Amino acid sequence: MLSAPRQPAPPAVFHHHHAWRHDANFNCRCRFQPRSQPALRRRKRLIQQLLAGSSIILLIFFYFAPSYRPNLGAGPLSYLTSSEDADLETVRYYDLSNVQGTARGWEREERILLCAPLRDAAPHLKMFFEHLEKLTYPHNLIDLAFLVGDSKDNTLELLNEKLEALQANPDPKKRFGELSIMNKDFGQKVNQDVESRHGFAAQAGRRKSMAQARNWLLSAALRPTHSWVYWRDVDVETAPVTILEDLMRHNKDVIVPNVWRPLPDWLGGEQPYDLNSWQESDTALALADTLDEDAVIVEGYAEYATWRPHLAYLRDPYGDPDMEMEIDGVGGVSILAKAKVFRSGVHFPAFSFEKHAETEGFGKMAKRMKYSVVGLPHYTIWHLYEPSVDDLRHMEEMEKEKKAKEAEEAAKKERLEKINHQFEPKSNDWEKEKAQVHDLLQKEKAENANQPKEAEAPKKPQEKPQEKPQEQPKKEAEKPVAKKDVIHEVRGEDEKPKLQPVQ
Amino acid sequence: MPSPRSFSRGRNPITYVLALMLCVGFYLFFFSSGGDSYIPSTRQSGGTASNVLSPPSLPFRKSKHNEPAQAPPVVHYHMNNVTTSRNPVENSETVLILTPLARFYQEYWDSLLKLTYPHELISLGFIIPKTKEGNLAITALQKEIAKTQKKGHGKRFASITILRQDTESPLQNQGEAERHKMENQKARRAAMAKARNSLLFTTLGPTTSWVLWMDSDIIEYPPTLIQDLAAFDAPIIAPNCFQRFYNNEKKSQDIRPYDFNNWVDSPTAKEMAAKMGKDDILLEGYAEMPTYRSLMAMMYDPAQEIGTKVKLDGVGGAVLLVKAEVHRDGAMFPAFPFYHLIETEGFAKMASRLNSESFGLPNYLVYHYNE
Repeated sequence: MLSAPRQPAPPAVFHHHHAWRHDANFNCRCRFQPRSQPALRRRKRLIQQLLAGSSIILLIFFYFAPSYRPNLGAGPLSYLTSSEDADLETVRYYDLSNVQGTARGWEREERILLCAPLRDAAPHLKMFFEHLEKLTYPHNLIDLAFLVGDSKDNTLELLNEKLEALQANPDPKKRFGELSIMNKDFGQKVNQDVESRHGFAAQAGRRKSMAQARNWLLSAALRPTHSWVYWRDVDVETAPVTILEDLMRHNKDVIVPNVWRPLPDWLGGEQPYDLNSWQESDTALALADTLDEDAVIVEGYAEYATWRPHLAYLRDPYGDPDMEMEIDGVGGVSILAKAKVFRSGVHFPAFSFEKHAETEGFGKMAKRMKYSVVGLPHYTIWHLYEPSVDDLRHMEEMEKEKKAKEAEEAAKKERLEKINHQFEPKSNDWEKEKAQVHDLLQKEKAENANQPKEAEAPKKPQEKPQEKPQEQPKKEAEKPVAKKDVIHEVRGEDEKPKLQPVQ
Repeated sequence: MPSPRSFSRGRNPITYVLALMLCVGFYLFFFSSGGDSYIPSTRQSGGTASNVLSPPSLPFRKSKHNEPAQAPPVVHYHMNNVTTSRNPVENSETVLILTPLARFYQEYWDSLLKLTYPHELISLGFIIPKTKEGNLAITALQKEIAKTQKKGHGKRFASITILRQDTESPLQNQGEAERHKMENQKARRAAMAKARNSLLFTTLGPTTSWVLWMDSDIIEYPPTLIQDLAAFDAPIIAPNCFQRFYNNEKKSQDIRPYDFNNWVDSPTAKEMAAKMGKDDILLEGYAEMPTYRSLMAMMYDPAQEIGTKVKLDGVGGAVLLVKAEVHRDGAMFPAFPFYHLIETEGFAKMASRLNSESFGLPNYLVYHYNE
């Protein structure tokens, strides 16, 4: 622009000046245009008014009478989308070498499939979803899959409600990926309560049907986009929010943390929970050879003394949480595995595979296919404490005891009050006397007189009635203490069985 | 004031038609969307997914470019309703045809298209190695897919998934002679087993009723194959795999048995297995390892009924119809010696450990490509 004035003005410029006489559309303003005739204009306006009026009337009519609205199918956009298969995508292409799983999956946007088999799990869902929401791994990279089977409670409804709420989060970063609920009943006969779940006889069958449920869930939910698969029980009470990253960092094919559970103080405060993560021992291998084809070795029962080193027992609360330990059997409370492990066919055997089933068989099979299977002895998550029948009985007794004690105390108080009440006039007298005596004493003291003892004497009758009732609770208290020891011994055997994940 | 003047000039009827169309369009837009004819996106088996994040055995609706990304919906799959019956067409049961594709043969694709089973109930899955040959195969395959899956094509399949294999193929040279060398067999079949499992477990999804394993070199079979095999209501069923060739002795076209992996176990084989090391495998069809098993390939008798069924202990993967629940229970193709068996033969063994039996149809023939 600055250089423009320096240039000699070409004659063309003048031509441009001529153009200024035209309007924007290059129509000459001076051209003649006939005016429209008034009659035509009026008719036009009438039609316009008619159209506008009728459309307003129709609009109002349809607004107030929705049943008269024309049935036009599924919305206006449907004409673009649902014309049978217009925008249907039928071909998908995936390169499996992109989903191998690496140590820093969250940076490479690796997808995780989180699997949780559920059965009568309604009471735990709230806790589970709180854990889910707190996970630090990018939520949009986590696909959730649940298998709900043979549930008698409202697990399914509650689960659906929770998932809908999860996905309705206004922050898109807090929403999860694919959410699927598989509904499949296997007709399991074994009860899911703690006692029947852990009886030795029921174990083999129970583990096999648990394995079946896990396989159904996985085979229905695994996609070619998954780099990792995370199995998590819903009844985990405490786990680090960074657990996915923490386990992933180790870059192992299969990895499990240590699983403990808190206990009430009278049971010792805490206890190893998941005994299915172990290293193979020669004793166990020899034992396996003696068993028949369909036998399943279950860890933690006196019937099979395997002498295996358990991940759970190696825990040191102050140990390095990154320490790794090679294991052969894995527990199912919290397993992170590369998806390629499952893709290559490793699964939870619902039959006796090398004398093991379910998660222990899974560990065995992964080892058979030369995958790395690792446990972290000092990285601990905490399983929910569900009291066993014995515990409940004991707790009931403790509760009774407590109540008895309280009642006793109340009675004592009442009695005291009564006594106070009954003896009030006298005690008043005593108070007076006491005051007098006190005065006297002080006088005496002042006069350097001795023996203030006499003044205490009137108090004695008050204390006497207390002594008798105090003896009784003592006797009662001794009994449960003895019993507690017995129970604890029983637990020593009975509690070894690992609490099974609620399916 | 040029605008009212130009408006009044347009007295031609097109203006009114346009105005009317606008009004009608307006009504459509406002009133139809509130109607209750809205179809929920979470439909059941054989349906359509509403999000990319969905089982690959289902087609999905593409989201518009201008639409904000929708949160993936909560989808229920009622797997109690996934049936496997004698009349799969009547019950709208979905079939997943899985093929580990080494080479693409036009005859293979043409035979697939000829299947009379409703194509909207058929999903296809391919796994292709990352080799030069694999690249060629995928190019040819995609060309055919583009033709078949075009909008409005009558033979269009419900969905097609193509996977590129992550594991290296142990043998670059997949020539016929090299492939069948005994020492190469274990590594080759282990890799094959992994490929099959990868394909199976990522495409099975929650809605599939049947899985039909079909090798890429199977080029001829009756178009009613799926219905025919399903009618036997067997957990696992294999037809007899033959090959057409020019018989020089007879000077005419002839057929000969091809797949020797369908067999009934023998006491000799069991004895051999018992003496073997943990990692050794038994192979069929090799002179240096006589197992004396009864091979289904040798049971073919044209005089007999086509529906003759025999119980098998080992199966081949050439053509194999499997109820999806067998795979879901965990029966897969072991890539390691499982009872001294590997891949498809190990699969039959694992299925039998899970109480699913395998059957063969010695007189029902399918044909392998002749190289």
